[in-house]
Amino acid sequence: MENISYNEVNEDVVRTMTHTTWKYWVALVTCAVMATVLWGGAWAYQIYVGQGVTGLNTPTFWGIYLANFVFWIGISHSGTLLSAILFITATPWRRSIYRSAEAITFFSVLTAALFIFVHMGRPWNFYWTMPYPTTRQLWVNFTSPIMFDVFAISTYMTSSVIFLYFGSIPDLAAVRDRVTGWRKPIYTYLALGWRGTEAEWHWLSKSYTFFAVFIIPLAVSVHSIVSWDFALSMVPGLNKTIFAPYFVVGAIFSGTAAIVTLMVILRKSLKFEKYITMMHFDKLCLLLLVMSLLWSYINVVEVFSDWYANTSVENETLRYRMFMPPHSYMYWLMIITNSIMPLLFIFKKLRTSIFVCVVVSIGINVGMWIERYLIVATTLPRKYLPNMWHGYTPSLIEISITVGSFFFFAMLFLIFVKVWPSVSIYEVKEDIGIPMRKGFKRH
Amino acid sequence: MSGILTKLKDKLQSYRVPGYRTKFEYKWTMVVDLDRCNGCEACVVACYAENNLPVVGKRDCDISRRFSWIRIERYIEGEYPDVKVKFIPIMCQHCDAAPCELGCPVYATYHNQDGLNVQVYNRCVGTFTCATYCTYDVRRFNWFTYKWDSPLEQQLNPDVTVREMGVMEKCTFCIQRIRVAKDTAKDEGRKVTDGDVQTACMQSCPTDAITFGDLNDPNSKVSKLAKSPRRYRLLEELNTDPSVIYLKRVMDEKKGHGSSHG
Amino acid sequence: MNQPVLGLFKYVDSMVEAAVMLKDTGYTVTVFSPIPLGAELDPIIVRKNYIKYFSLIGGIIGLLFGIILTLGTAAMYVLPRGGLPLWPATPTLLLTYESTILVGVIFTLMGFFVIARLPYYGKKRFYTPKVALDSFGLLVEDIQEDKIEEVEKLLHDYGANEVNRVEQP
Repeated sequence: MENISYNEVNEDVVRTMTHTTWKYWVALVTCAVMATVLWGGAWAYQIYVGQGVTGLNTPTFWGIYLANFVFWIGISHSGTLLSAILFITATPWRRSIYRSAEAITFFSVLTAALFIFVHMGRPWNFYWTMPYPTTRQLWVNFTSPIMFDVFAISTYMTSSVIFLYFGSIPDLAAVRDRVTGWRKPIYTYLALGWRGTEAEWHWLSKSYTFFAVFIIPLAVSVHSIVSWDFALSMVPGLNKTIFAPYFVVGAIFSGTAAIVTLMVILRKSLKFEKYITMMHFDKLCLLLLVMSLLWSYINVVEVFSDWYANTSVENETLRYRMFMPPHSYMYWLMIITNSIMPLLFIFKKLRTSIFVCVVVSIGINVGMWIERYLIVATTLPRKYLPNMWHGYTPSLIEISITVGSFFFFAMLFLIFVKVWPSVSIYEVKEDIGIPMRKGFKRH
Repeated sequence: MSGILTKLKDKLQSYRVPGYRTKFEYKWTMVVDLDRCNGCEACVVACYAENNLPVVGKRDCDISRRFSWIRIERYIEGEYPDVKVKFIPIMCQHCDAAPCELGCPVYATYHNQDGLNVQVYNRCVGTFTCATYCTYDVRRFNWFTYKWDSPLEQQLNPDVTVREMGVMEKCTFCIQRIRVAKDTAKDEGRKVTDGDVQTACMQSCPTDAITFGDLNDPNSKVSKLAKSPRRYRLLEELNTDPSVIYLKRVMDEKKGHGSSHG
Repeated sequence: MNQPVLGLFKYVDSMVEAAVMLKDTGYTVTVFSPIPLGAELDPIIVRKNYIKYFSLIGGIIGLLFGIILTLGTAAMYVLPRGGLPLWPATPTLLLTYESTILVGVIFTLMGFFVIARLPYYGKKRFYTPKVALDSFGLLVEDIQEDKIEEVEKLLHDYGANEVNRVEQP
């Protein structure tokens, strides 16, 4: 990156925020309208009529909404966790991708949190799950895994917003200096009066390190806790000790795949070829390969221990998941996309091919969504008493809300790239190096 | 400050030592004698009438949303003509170590001092956690706000709440009848005696298969029946410690269809 | 006080040399930069890390908060549930873990704001947008009236591209 000048970085990043083509507006309006209609409309109908509009039934009380919840929480593990780990390990290729990755985190946690309310029977009472002082003497039950979730997700959301905003302060100041008109007062306010003195940089980098140190154990705990929503029950197929590591690995896996997909789009649409290079894709795809192998290993172990234990309830769950259509089709598709396709990344040539990257990363996300769906949709219909066994098919309302959530996420991300510097200006400059008389000094 | 502390100490002691979660004032228990059960479903009908259960209609029944708090599970073993049919009525087992109580984030379901697993409708926010965690699939959810067409609303039981949509519910062991019995006993300055409380299902059972009473009272009918060698509890291996005791049906292993058919 | 002087440098090592020189002479120098310079600035100033105390205190407060919240709730709402003891270990540990991190993060943020004196929207302080682009600024303060030109010359000699007298804020 030595051939880029410091000035150019500022110009390029601010350009993406101030110069908007009609294509952007078309995309934004489409996403906003689709999110409102598909999610908002369907949800309003569901709240008005009742949860009966879903395909849920007596043994299968959790369906596609919980699958979406876990999926979006999983996506969120890409950004903040990856960014923090790469920061602590001082990995240079983190610098030009981490900002948008952290934004992915925030937006997907937001989407996931909304899914908790979507799946509730009485969402208008959602605040009852918060420990707040009330004259009615109502309080929350801390033994509930749902309560762990409330705490974990609110902590995670707060911390990742702070992490995202905190790392952007110097860039917001740089943007403040270059924009005019209505943007000026907004960024002046957001930049908090940052001047770039040596003291400010010092405290910024010290605090940033502490945030990273806090975030890593937090992110691991968040997805473990999400897995305990299931694993702390006594339902066969859910009550497994391996669930926490399985979910954490799956989360990083799907999150990294989401980063790859979005980076390709970002690179093309914002003309960031200079900053997001093939080297980044190479590294990310290597990470995907490693995560894929780990995921496959855990998946095999999970099935193997059930199969070897040979208890009737576990056998039934396995049979229902792996050999009974329609779930068996989904299961084997998942194995292809998550365990076999990422093996392509063994070859460097394929790691650095945009086309292969896109296909495999989208495949992984489809596979990971299926994994989450199968976890709820193939265990709950097969609980202990065979008389109550009943399958689950999502209704149109549920599918509409699911599709709507993707538009909602896309809408948030589209807004983000226009209001926030989506590539870190000062860290790309660090990547270029510190200018010395003898040339750039790089870390 | 010291007032609060003493109050807190008293409160803690009253629950932790000796009675907290193991020893209850009453230990309401139901004994179901499967030898007597013929699967007539009179209990199911009685439960619908007593507890204001909505009738959900064909479509919802098809997708397994029927509302019966008590259900008769029917299992058929073997091939015709050599078949055995077994019935087992299943209602909320009021487990002492109930998985559902752990799951609720808002204390909408908890254990009361009579050893009952109770559900607070007003408190429920509908996260489905309790029903998912329940190993007996006895929890029912109000998918819609169900309506009773006129004049059917006239037959609703005034002692029992009509639930709104988005609320989880389940068998209460006819808690409204327990309350009445306890109030009467309190007025008369005595404890509830055996036979004071009759649940709706028990009352309507033509073969007296269901018995209900206090397990803490060594002379009650349930205490005696609970000592039966045929006693077992459903899915006991899961350690949920249910309050419903089943008496195993004794079946002739050799003979087939004729003698063993209900 | 007299007018401060600002030198804008292109190279960091030139700036550091000038800063060391000026600082030894007794002037107050402030470095402005578009990127964190970290160890490069060690010859000028070495700062201790006070943020860690904030993180530590935040973590401890969060820990206590989590313990009090979970155990206190159980003590206030004595309801048997799921056959658990009144004070079960697992939820207490989990929620304490989360609240430790939450309060730790918030205190770290507060610590940064307090120590770095941000956010600042008050009276205008010296700032030039050039230091957010590609220049490394060296602001020299506490200069005697007759020494200003000497400082300016010195900055030029050390390789500053641009030397300005700054309006007194």
